[in-house]
Amino acid sequence: MVVGEVTHERDVLVIGAGPGGYVAAIRAAQLGKKVTIVDKQYVGGVCLNVGCIPSKALITAAHHYETMTGSADMGITAEGVKLDFAKVQAWKAGIVNKLTGGVKSLLAGNKVEFVSGEAFFTGPDEVRVAGEYEGARYKFKDCIIATGSRPFELKNLPFGGRILSSTEALSLPEVPKTMIVVGGGYIGVELGQTYAKFGTKVTILEGSPSILPGFEEEASKLVVKNLKKLGIDIVTEAMAQGAKQTDQDVTVTFTADGKEQQLTAEYVLVTVGRKPNTDELGLDVIGLETNPRGLLDVDAQSRTKMPHIYAIGDIVPGPALAHKASYEGKVAAEAIAGLPSAVDYKAIPAVVFSDPEIASVGLSEKEAKAAGRSVVTGKFPYAANGRALSMNAVDGFVKLVAEKETGLVIGALVAGAEASNLIAELGLAIEMGAVLEDLALTIHAHPTLGEIVMETAEGALGQAIHQINR
Amino acid sequence: MGMFQFKLPDIGEGMHEGEIVKWHVKPGDQVEEDQVLLEVQNDKAVVELPSPVSGTVKEVLVEEGTVATVGQVLVVFEVAGEGNAAEGGADFKAEHNEVKDNAATGGAAEQVQKADSPVPAASGPAQAPQAAATVAAGGTADVLATPAVRKLAREKGINIRQMRGTGRHGQVTREDVLAFATGGAPAEEAAPSPAAEAAAAPEAGGLEERVPLRGIRKVIANAMTKSVYTAPHVTIMDEADVTKLVEFRTQLKPLAEKRGAKLTYLPFIVKALVAAVKQFPVLNASVDDERSEIVYKKYYNIGIATNTENGLIVPVVKDADRKSMLDIAREIADLAARGREGKLSAPEMKGSTVTISNIGSAGGMFFTPVINWPEVAILGIGRISDKPVVRDGQVVPGKVLALSLSFDHRIIDGATAQNAVNKIKELLENPQLLVMEV
Repeated sequence: MVVGEVTHERDVLVIGAGPGGYVAAIRAAQLGKKVTIVDKQYVGGVCLNVGCIPSKALITAAHHYETMTGSADMGITAEGVKLDFAKVQAWKAGIVNKLTGGVKSLLAGNKVEFVSGEAFFTGPDEVRVAGEYEGARYKFKDCIIATGSRPFELKNLPFGGRILSSTEALSLPEVPKTMIVVGGGYIGVELGQTYAKFGTKVTILEGSPSILPGFEEEASKLVVKNLKKLGIDIVTEAMAQGAKQTDQDVTVTFTADGKEQQLTAEYVLVTVGRKPNTDELGLDVIGLETNPRGLLDVDAQSRTKMPHIYAIGDIVPGPALAHKASYEGKVAAEAIAGLPSAVDYKAIPAVVFSDPEIASVGLSEKEAKAAGRSVVTGKFPYAANGRALSMNAVDGFVKLVAEKETGLVIGALVAGAEASNLIAELGLAIEMGAVLEDLALTIHAHPTLGEIVMETAEGALGQAIHQINR
Repeated sequence: MGMFQFKLPDIGEGMHEGEIVKWHVKPGDQVEEDQVLLEVQNDKAVVELPSPVSGTVKEVLVEEGTVATVGQVLVVFEVAGEGNAAEGGADFKAEHNEVKDNAATGGAAEQVQKADSPVPAASGPAQAPQAAATVAAGGTADVLATPAVRKLAREKGINIRQMRGTGRHGQVTREDVLAFATGGAPAEEAAPSPAAEAAAAPEAGGLEERVPLRGIRKVIANAMTKSVYTAPHVTIMDEADVTKLVEFRTQLKPLAEKRGAKLTYLPFIVKALVAAVKQFPVLNASVDDERSEIVYKKYYNIGIATNTENGLIVPVVKDADRKSMLDIAREIADLAARGREGKLSAPEMKGSTVTISNIGSAGGMFFTPVINWPEVAILGIGRISDKPVVRDGQVVPGKVLALSLSFDHRIIDGATAQNAVNKIKELLENPQLLVMEV
């Protein structure tokens, strides 16, 4: 032990204060544990500080800006609409501060101690936390690792200067004139589309044959249509080779169509995935190995091979999503308290905050068929829904996947306005074991987008009212 | 173009494997989505599996007649657009959606955070508090029950998988869990038992051990319960003087051995039983309760109840009437050996029309075998003992075989059953007659 270092003893030590870690810490404290949570950077993690929340703030601001100048159809024309991007950024920062402040007071209110610093395992029941000026050791009975992930860095496009990760892209001081986005997944599309709405000329370079490769084409093509309307160039099957920076711009070299090409912009944003933060924790010291993807394998209670060490969120298998981390955090905390909780979900919703939004939960039609299930599907367009029309949001659809024999709902896909909110009902339907008739027979308020869900279910049963049933 | 791997899905009934009965496609074929690819046999039926994609069949990986396990790749397609398999064979998980960003450079190798199984298998020693045994067994999200009910089951230390739901579509309800917890509940397929209440969880204090009723044990339990509660059983018992058969078999044994068969008494008994049920067809029948019909079977598949480490299984000698004694001997030896290794396929263990249960090898005599429902008769074989028998007014030493025949009294009357037993006796006592039946 380093002279002068103090060793603290805790019931539960949580490493990482993101949406997985802070939720786990609070639940553990609620269950009577003495809890310390450590984070090297922020309370709230990537999600609250440089991820979900600030990106949604910018997306909303961009949407308002766009509708102010693009609502002539409704009889609204505006002149002299100004964008004060510094103010947008300040507004965004205010939201982040409000939320992280809220989490801090929740931690304090639950008597969870927050320690700022980087944790490193020094033994199977001890970590050293290196703060800015001093270090301390924490002994624990149980530990929850919730260190999350960071943007994946490409060797030939290393972050720095004009090569941005999502983190920097969320905090640009002004709207760039031009931007290249490398990686057309959900982060690249969300941010690319946002800056395009603010006026940036955006080019997306995507390695696979289409953008949003994880989502079904019938949904992603609606987004592609809007991206093109905004003047975004999409180059698919493009492979970035490298980049050269100057004071004013950055030039990306890439191959596409079998040719080497170059493109220059003020910034290049690289969004090609996320990498689990398991490499700087000293896991090797305690003999905890990660799998080839850098993830920790866990059991149904989020427990690693070491029974008193738990892992949750982006560092364990499954999609890297905040809501999954929070769920697992609660399970881990309850397991530590001796409760028989388990990771036991039927489905995790996934949302892309593109325009229009895409959200899915459960199995896609293709996945269900690949799993050998006999399915029936229903699909109903926004264009036949009164509320969608009156919102000027005609692009979109709800699609349901159900078991043919029983009508049991096993999957849903929503593309269109408020898809992110509509998916909640469908997640509940799947967890509750609802059948198509349950959705069809539930009265949905008129006029709302929710009626589309009801009509889709009726359609799958061959009895939609506002659609000719084939 | 991408590659799409089609894996054997869970074809229901908790089967972990299925026999590939027939391929409807071959490499090079163009396949449309939903077109039937192949037929797989599970425990209950032959299932047609449709194609989840349209594309070209690149490779068929499992041959007809072989048994594939769930998750095994059966066929690879070349499909337009994104497949589910990288050339390198990256794993495809259909369980849930993933949100992934695709690398625009470097290729798939640098891609991280691909979706994986949402509930990873338990890894490593999971020393955990009380209920962890049921918890660590994995998520129960595939069970039809609401999240709150699944949680309640965990809290009660109940494996919800073992429950039969009484709710709509078999949904496990809160009431089901609570009833199960107090012992009065329907486990899967089990008949309601008023006595169960009394047996509910006494203060055990470590003097009792609770082991979940699982796998083959559970199948046996269900089958026995079903049989006994469905068919009114009557058992008749009798003795056969098999002195001549013993001699006959002793003579034949070395001859059979030369021809690669170990000749036990079972092939003789199989033949005798076939002859008896041919004469009394009602023993080779079943009852279709739904339609109130007796189904007489014109084929003779003899189930041979076989003891294994895991429990009782009943492999079937099919068309025993058309096989030679030696073939039957070889087949029984092969079925029994593979049965003990757990290597029998489902079709080898079903389709029997009447069954033989042999307790004699363990030394027993008379017993009341339980009918292998939906069959209607089972012949129990006891040991062959040295006993005094009266022949031509003289008490002489003889070899005596104990026979027990249980039958379903709904359709078989006592006299018929006894006549059948008499026929069996006659044949076993006079092996020359048996030869005429072959």
